[in-house]
Amino acid sequence: MTTKKEEEKISTLLEDLTSLESYARDLFSFLPLPVCLVSSVGIILEVNPAFENITGYNIEEIIGKPAEDILVKKEFEELAKETLGKGYVRAKELIIFTKEKKEIPASVSTILRKSEEGEIIGYFVGLFDLSDIKKTEKDLKSAQIALLNMLEDVEEARGRAEEEKNKTVAIINNFTDGLLVFDPENKLSLINPQTEKIFDIKQRDIVNRTLQELKTFPTIEPLVLILLKETKEISRKEIQLKENLVIEISSVPILKGEEKLGNLIIIHDVSREKLIEKMKTEFVSISAHQLRTPLSAIKWTIRMLLDGDLGELTLEQRDFLEKTYRSNEKMISLINSLLDVTRIEEGRYLYKPALTEIEPICQFVIKSYEEEIKRKNITVDFKKPEKRLPKIMMDVEKIKLAIQNLLDNAVRYTPPGGKVTITLKYGKKEVGFSIKDSGVGIPKEQQSRVFTRFFRGANVMRMDTEGSGFGLYIVKNIIEAHGGKVWFESEEGKGATFYFNLPTKEEFAEFLKEF
Amino acid sequence: MNQELNQETVKKIMEAKGEVRGVTLKTDMGFVLKEKGEEGLKKLEDELEKLGQPIKFQEIKTMDFYPIGLRAVSLLAIKKVFGFDDEKIKEIGLFATKTSLIIKLFVRYFLSVQRVFMKEAPRLWAKHYTVGELNTVELNEEKKYGIIRLRNINVHPIVCCYLEGYFCGILHLIIKSSRINSQESKCTFRGNEYHEYLLKWE
Repeated sequence: MTTKKEEEKISTLLEDLTSLESYARDLFSFLPLPVCLVSSVGIILEVNPAFENITGYNIEEIIGKPAEDILVKKEFEELAKETLGKGYVRAKELIIFTKEKKEIPASVSTILRKSEEGEIIGYFVGLFDLSDIKKTEKDLKSAQIALLNMLEDVEEARGRAEEEKNKTVAIINNFTDGLLVFDPENKLSLINPQTEKIFDIKQRDIVNRTLQELKTFPTIEPLVLILLKETKEISRKEIQLKENLVIEISSVPILKGEEKLGNLIIIHDVSREKLIEKMKTEFVSISAHQLRTPLSAIKWTIRMLLDGDLGELTLEQRDFLEKTYRSNEKMISLINSLLDVTRIEEGRYLYKPALTEIEPICQFVIKSYEEEIKRKNITVDFKKPEKRLPKIMMDVEKIKLAIQNLLDNAVRYTPPGGKVTITLKYGKKEVGFSIKDSGVGIPKEQQSRVFTRFFRGANVMRMDTEGSGFGLYIVKNIIEAHGGKVWFESEEGKGATFYFNLPTKEEFAEFLKEF
Repeated sequence: MNQELNQETVKKIMEAKGEVRGVTLKTDMGFVLKEKGEEGLKKLEDELEKLGQPIKFQEIKTMDFYPIGLRAVSLLAIKKVFGFDDEKIKEIGLFATKTSLIIKLFVRYFLSVQRVFMKEAPRLWAKHYTVGELNTVELNEEKKYGIIRLRNINVHPIVCCYLEGYFCGILHLIIKSSRINSQESKCTFRGNEYHEYLLKWE
């Protein structure tokens, strides 16, 4: 029989025991680390909720289960052996198997549990889920590999870029033409040694300067003035920098897709070509002059013979001399054309501008061809506006020569019975001239060379061996020297139409300002 | 065993002499909560109240002693309310070994099959019940079986069924085997002098 005092004592002890049980249970349940108690024979005796979570087993499934069911048998045996031998294991990496047979990498720690008598009861096993760490490690490793690969690629690309850059620099430095590269803000970013030589200037003095700043450098100023004026591409524009230094400049945009990265200016030294050209022109000029003198003498001698100044001629003699006279005339005409060309090329094709009407010039030229027109039975139609055309500034002789050359071609290459139409028009700022024929036309593939020296259409060369190939070249130079423009339209076998415009007096004055 | 459960029959069961530790009722509560949740537990408590045993399971003290009849009444009420069969009652016994605080305190002595059968089983019984004696009659580890005998306790056959699961659960904690079986081979309710359980494993 227990006394009341003993009952109270037992009751207090029971309450304390219950509190202790609750405390131990809460502590064990709260622990976020998966923990289990394994008996000395390897049976799981207790687990906390975190252990249930990681393994996927609930408490009644896992308690009583051999620990090797959730660990690799061999690894567990080593773990148990080490724990039983040493008393603990610290952070050993193992694989644990979940109920769903999923493998989870975990860091496993153990500590031996003994009874008061020193007998081994079992051991606590604590797990630390390494999945996230392993995943992070894997991700980091992948990222590291990716980064290393990227670095390798970047290094390789940098090497290639460096190599390309070196190649480009070598090309630029060894380029026989002068090169200047401007950035999109029109700052000079690069020049090559050839440019330094041409402009007698040093790269360090002029790079990173704007066009306005570059204007202050006298040697490069002529180039800068052109670049400031021209907003579009420049194609082979000549500048004479010194007496024996002529350069040809071209400007092209540097594009990367749609983006403009800057401008490239190419400076080509044409001094030598110019000198050779000049020498050639001089040679031709002197030769032509030398040839014209005896030809003139021959002309007047034959004329005298034909006029009977040296006695009567037989019909046969007259016939021979007339043929000789015509051939001589052709030779003189050719020599004159040659001289015109040489004057053009020497820049000596100076003309005397005067305010003149173009209509009488046209009529004069047409009249001078009346005989040939009649002989070939060609209809010549001359159209002009009812209103009187204004006078324009022109060198009458040169314009007459231009119209003459155009009409000569039209009549020459229009078959008998054909038609030639000459039209004058008055535009806003210019007077327009056109001459249309029903002749042989110009082959399409040759049309780009029509205004060059010695050009003769392949079709006309087959039908007519005469013609110097200077006519249209002279026409172009005459019209352009007046600030005008010349062009044509043609289809082989259907004739051709040549046009030119000459500026009115005001426009002509503007044109002259350019010189 | 199929006797109707009412206040009268419960009263008779409650007349049984002896006490049982609160932990056994707590493990009943744990099983009901796991299987049927809070609602199920409320139903069970309502049923017990109807039967004249108004128990609040949460208030039961694990280590305190309660009338031994309550051990049987609790199981009978569970069986009635949830329509459980004997297998499910065995499962409650098995579940108890895995969640019981006393078992957790006792596992320190689960050092070998021999020790548990020969030395700890009687002690373990005494930790739970104030009546009855549990002894091992035979243990053959080679042939993998053991016979235990329980004397001087006659509460209700449902407790015999519960104990089948319970002994099975204890074996799970000491033997690495997935096939463990426990069967009551003799029972005082079947005219035997004592209860006897044959425990086998593979």
